Amino acid sequence: MKVRWETYLGAVGFLMLLGAHYVGLFVAPPEAMMGDVGRILYAHVPTAWIGLLTYLVSFIAAIGAMLTGKATWDAMVEASVEVGLLLNALLLIQGSLWGKETWGVYWTWDPRLTTCAIMVVAFGVVLALRKQIDEPARRLTISSVATIVAFVNVPIVYMSVKWWDGLHQNFSSPETVDSAMVTPLRAAAFAMLFLSTAFVVRRWRIALVQLTLEFDAPDLPDPSAPLAVED
Amino acid sequence: MTGMIQGGWGVVWAVYGITWASLILYGISLHLRERAQ
Repeated sequence: MKVRWETYLGAVGFLMLLGAHYVGLFVAPPEAMMGDVGRILYAHVPTAWIGLLTYLVSFIAAIGAMLTGKATWDAMVEASVEVGLLLNALLLIQGSLWGKETWGVYWTWDPRLTTCAIMVVAFGVVLALRKQIDEPARRLTISSVATIVAFVNVPIVYMSVKWWDGLHQNFSSPETVDSAMVTPLRAAAFAMLFLSTAFVVRRWRIALVQLTLEFDAPDLPDPSAPLAVED
Repeated sequence: MTGMIQGGWGVVWAVYGITWASLILYGISLHLRERAQ
């Protein structure tokens, strides 16, 4: 049985993430204000970065699908939106647990949290639409438009901590973070990138098989058309 | 008194547990979906 390249990439990502999380949990120093609770950083921040990046892939794939009408781009929309939603949902769960410990509440209508919630709903609508529409060409068009519309919110999510005052922490940089925390954070981010890429590619292959069959299927006669009667 | 939050390991373990469980279960779901084709 042939082992595909994304399997190796996923395995590397898995092992790297294991190592980065080990260092984040047991080697890196506690955060200056949040103490050991700050160790959530090594799971939460890479999930956020790679989640947004996955949505960027879905945006590019949606444009590709609109321009070409090809199943290969449409399959990438399906794959990247699904993986993006997984990371987005994880992000909200991780964040709400972190919020409860540091802010005292699981949820607050902070701009970053609110835009993240809008993001999960908007991309959730994309997948729901894809499930509802049977006709392949129509599904491609409608879900691509929905993906492009949903993506408008992604830069807003990223900039929300800059544009509005809220509880969520502002951007950090390697200059403002202890160097002992930067290395495991970067390693976890690359690990999540590798793992998510493996997920997207494998999901793309699964979707492509299904969509190619649908796109190539011969058109069936319209059931509502009148039957031709031969004399 | 340092102003640093004390404890909190329970929530840290919960976050890492949910993260790893989700990633592993999604990986398994992809494997099963591919095999079903």
